Amino acid sequence: RAVASPFATSATGSGTTLANKESASAAASLSSDADWPAAKHTPTGQLLKLPLAVPKPDEIKKTASGWEYSGQLEFGYLGGDADERNAQYRMYQDLDEGAYLNNFSLLLKKADGAFFNVTGGGAGHRDQYYGLNFGRTNSWGLKLFFSETPHVFTDNYKSLWSGLTTGTQLLIPGLTPGGTASTAADTAAVTTAALNAPPTTLSLTRKRAGARLDVTFSSAWKAYAGYAVEHREGARPFAAVWGNNGGTAPIEIAEPVDYDTTDITAGVSYVRDLNAFNFRWTTSLFENKIDTFTFQQPFRITPQGFTTTPAAGAYTQGRFDLYPDNQSHNARAEYTRKFPDFYKSTLTAVVSAGTMRQNDNLIPYTHLAGLTLPNVTILPGGDWNTVGSLSRPTAKGLIETRLADLTFSVNPSADLNVKLKGRFYENDNNSDPYYAVNPNAVYVDADAATAGNQTRGISYGGFTGVWGRPLNDASGSGGVLFGTNPNPTGSVEIANHVYSSKQFRFGPTADYSLTNSANLNLSAERETTQRTNRERARTWEDRYKIGLVHRALGDSTLRASYEFAQRRGSDYVTAYYENTFSAAFIPMPTAVGTNVTSWAVRNNSGVRNYELSDRDQHVANLRVDTMLRANLDVGVSVQLRESRYPGAAYGRGKESGDSANLDLNYQPSAKQNIYAFYSFQRSRIRQALITAGNNVTLGVVSPLGVITPENAATLGSQPGGPFYSLGNSWSAKNTEHNHVVGAGVKQELGKATLNVDYSYSLGRSRITYHYGIGGAINAANAVFAGYRMPDLATDISYLDASLRFPFTPRLSARLVYRNQWEAIRDWHYRNLAATPVVTNNVNNPPTITSLDGGPSAYRVNWFGVMFQIKL
Amino acid sequence: QPAAKPAKPATAPAATAPMSTGALNNGATYVGEAVCIACHQTQNKQFTHTLHADAFRKNPQNELQQKSCEACHGPGSKHLSNPLDKANRPSLVGFTKEWGTPIAVQNNQCLQCHSGGNAMHWDGSIHSRNQLSCADCHNPMAKISVTGLLKKQSINETCYTCHQQQRADFAKRSHMPLPEGKISCVDCHNPHGSTTKALVKNDSVNELCYNCHAEKRGPFLWEHAPVRDNCLTCHAPHGSNHDKLLTTARPFQCQQCHGNTNHQPTLYNAGQIVGGGANPSTRAIGRSCQNCHSQIHGSNHPAGARFQR
Repeated sequence: RAVASPFATSATGSGTTLANKESASAAASLSSDADWPAAKHTPTGQLLKLPLAVPKPDEIKKTASGWEYSGQLEFGYLGGDADERNAQYRMYQDLDEGAYLNNFSLLLKKADGAFFNVTGGGAGHRDQYYGLNFGRTNSWGLKLFFSETPHVFTDNYKSLWSGLTTGTQLLIPGLTPGGTASTAADTAAVTTAALNAPPTTLSLTRKRAGARLDVTFSSAWKAYAGYAVEHREGARPFAAVWGNNGGTAPIEIAEPVDYDTTDITAGVSYVRDLNAFNFRWTTSLFENKIDTFTFQQPFRITPQGFTTTPAAGAYTQGRFDLYPDNQSHNARAEYTRKFPDFYKSTLTAVVSAGTMRQNDNLIPYTHLAGLTLPNVTILPGGDWNTVGSLSRPTAKGLIETRLADLTFSVNPSADLNVKLKGRFYENDNNSDPYYAVNPNAVYVDADAATAGNQTRGISYGGFTGVWGRPLNDASGSGGVLFGTNPNPTGSVEIANHVYSSKQFRFGPTADYSLTNSANLNLSAERETTQRTNRERARTWEDRYKIGLVHRALGDSTLRASYEFAQRRGSDYVTAYYENTFSAAFIPMPTAVGTNVTSWAVRNNSGVRNYELSDRDQHVANLRVDTMLRANLDVGVSVQLRESRYPGAAYGRGKESGDSANLDLNYQPSAKQNIYAFYSFQRSRIRQALITAGNNVTLGVVSPLGVITPENAATLGSQPGGPFYSLGNSWSAKNTEHNHVVGAGVKQELGKATLNVDYSYSLGRSRITYHYGIGGAINAANAVFAGYRMPDLATDISYLDASLRFPFTPRLSARLVYRNQWEAIRDWHYRNLAATPVVTNNVNNPPTITSLDGGPSAYRVNWFGVMFQIKL
Repeated sequence: QPAAKPAKPATAPAATAPMSTGALNNGATYVGEAVCIACHQTQNKQFTHTLHADAFRKNPQNELQQKSCEACHGPGSKHLSNPLDKANRPSLVGFTKEWGTPIAVQNNQCLQCHSGGNAMHWDGSIHSRNQLSCADCHNPMAKISVTGLLKKQSINETCYTCHQQQRADFAKRSHMPLPEGKISCVDCHNPHGSTTKALVKNDSVNELCYNCHAEKRGPFLWEHAPVRDNCLTCHAPHGSNHDKLLTTARPFQCQQCHGNTNHQPTLYNAGQIVGGGANPSTRAIGRSCQNCHSQIHGSNHPAGARFQR
């Protein structure tokens, strides 16, 4: 049963409940108040749930010292399949066979408003929770809480390592770090080890504890302060890859998680007469106790470009720089002033400012000492395994956020309310640009005309040195400009991208009372977003909305709305990131016959990233709530949504989502409540791309003309050009259908209470694609490709039933039954449990070593008997 | 014929305003809760167990709160004159469909105490524009929910009564831990109003997500532009048919933007899953693109430009 918000409120923070799956089930079986008058409806027309049975005022128990008290304890025994380990089943809950303390609570109250409340549940399990709340109603309250939440990712991971939750993972005996001379033997050994490894569960647990103090100084002044610490620990699926440009021997590993997050919040609010004011401060401090993570790897990685000692088998381990420690602070002030004499107007202003920052120490590219490249000379202090090879030693990340929001509300007449709204939000990334350059290295003279090393680096951005970055623990040199290849190239990443954005939104809304029970509302707004270092510097979206609320269509309430939004923007520049590539300082060659693809192609110029693209969007909503009878209500809602991206010849072209819902609630008496619902959803995403084709070579006659230095970038990225041949075009459509049905009954059977909840959820996702045979897919592969992926399908059935018998007013027994199953088919994981190592050629490193067998079906039937004791 | 429009209430008086009730309840006067309870013992039985009762009866902060029943329902003298006559219902503020009190009048009663604070942005919020009454979500009279005086047992069930799409989303394969009771809708949304769209509690979607996913806050040495822009570019926040709340299956998710050179624009297909053909591809298997680009939310590794370390 959910209890008092432990940390957050509806306005700020996370942590609003203390509960788990089983406590909610227990609460659902509680008896209703048989004395409550006939069912009433909310102002919209939905049946109000009958309240819980409570003692009459003169029956409330009291101690001799005047404390009113109530409390209960539920405990018992679970059997059957309660031990089921399936990850889909245990994703966020934790049950086991055996004795179980489901929940308990104790509430003490005194006539002066003093209260003391303790509660808890799921004792000893990974979803347990406890709360202690005491104080004086309407004066002050202190909450202390502790809550755990599991997150199980997979129960089918075949670990090849020891120490999965630590920062150092060592291969199990039988596997050779760095592999052997025989890749086939390594592949066989890894396959055998994976198949023989017991299934391992990868999961983490959130443990959150904290306190919150709320003080009411007067009816005008209130204040609060909260402090919470969350510890997350465990491991989750992760992956690593090796090689020249990346892509060699990808292997699924486990990312260790050992996080602490400290949240601090404090605020004050004031309301008096015509003024209201809020101020809030929040701080969040994140610490990752495993800053870097090292894992041994079992394959022979051939260093591409780098010279190592020893020459073979040097790459025994990889290293990740995991999420860095970071800090966030935010201050927010809100003020409202009413002007009752000026058309009953109101002015509301909000300002907020915050920072997000991290300055973690950077790690060197590799742990291997003495790595050399043919065209690079390392100066003293510049070895690739030292931070001397970096342009700076720390990350220096800083984002500042700012918000200003202004609303002026005015009532020109009794029937009309008009609001003018303006909002500015900025995400200002002030991080120093990072340059991927080894300032303590120089290039060997590549012209071969001068003997010996030359003290020659390339200067850019205030740095001089060797540009680019060794890839993946320096197993690949493809990221280092001129590292092994003396030919110039334009696509080596030499600097990071720093993204900032500003958003402006303004517009009026109007709400007009057509009748006493009908309102028409209209709104128009323009939202302009400016982004730095993106394909589009500026987008603007105009939204127009009309809504109607009619509360007296017989016994029905109707709400309908339609919104049209149109987004447009400045020029879309596909190759915007040139200043972060070596093309920034290595000019495109001009000699006929030169392959200039690395300068000419950044993306298909017909692609539009869908968050930046032109968009025309229509959204229509209709909702009707009606009281068919005094004890029966029906709710029907429909939403139709369609987004078209008219400027996007490639990428996402269209997206739509429709849904329809039906709800029934029948409550003939305090002894019976029946509900049923059905939801249908359908969504579609259409997208298209062109598979990469021929290189862009100067002097070649392409379908769009002769390629020259002047037009190479245009033709190279253009659909129909040499690289993006229209014959290689393909399109795909993802169509999803979901059906969810549910029903339940709560029935008093004499003194017993029966509660049954059932739901069935069906999800289907079908991806179809179209292509030209011989284009995007050749004829031989088209036989296997067909025209769609296998359906991605999920079926989830859930039945929870309980029957509660009161033996005495204080003692009840509750028989509990749970039938739950899930069938899941995900083509990503098809056959992986039996084929953890996928290879196309046993003499090469595997295509992938995928150690997670993926989600799997389960079916559980468990039962239990719970005893409820009331004070 | 529609009923004649009553005069719109004045802007909500603050809690400390003088006890002038004006035209409320047809100019009735206060009678005291003992008079109410004389007839409404059943309601009083429930009300006694609510937070409102504790506040009003045990530690009222002002004259209004001392009125107990009439603090919310308004002065009851005119109601007493003919309590069973439907025509006399305008003599008392009611919070049900049957009673028929205009929504603005109902909400004005609540805002006497609950203006400002968490509800600073109620006026103009999407819930307000849709003419929701506070009583569409709350029942301050009865012990239906343990906290929040809601109309259903929990926050989530209360929201589901109108937000059935989200209820369906939470029933999908991947979802936030809401059905399991570990979070609630109010962890992300402020139903009482917000300056951010979709009633999001923070200044932006990303700032909201960082409340629980603080590790993804960064900023990182190497940033992924849409990740910094908006988490919802790739994720469906309530639930999804796909792993990790993704909006569609990988690699198609990533290929909505990435059509660059090499493997990015390749059509990965059914022939490339395990057992599908002779050439399985790492990009179609398991974690797909994230088999290599595992640090997709951003990398702090000097070599992490492609999110591989």
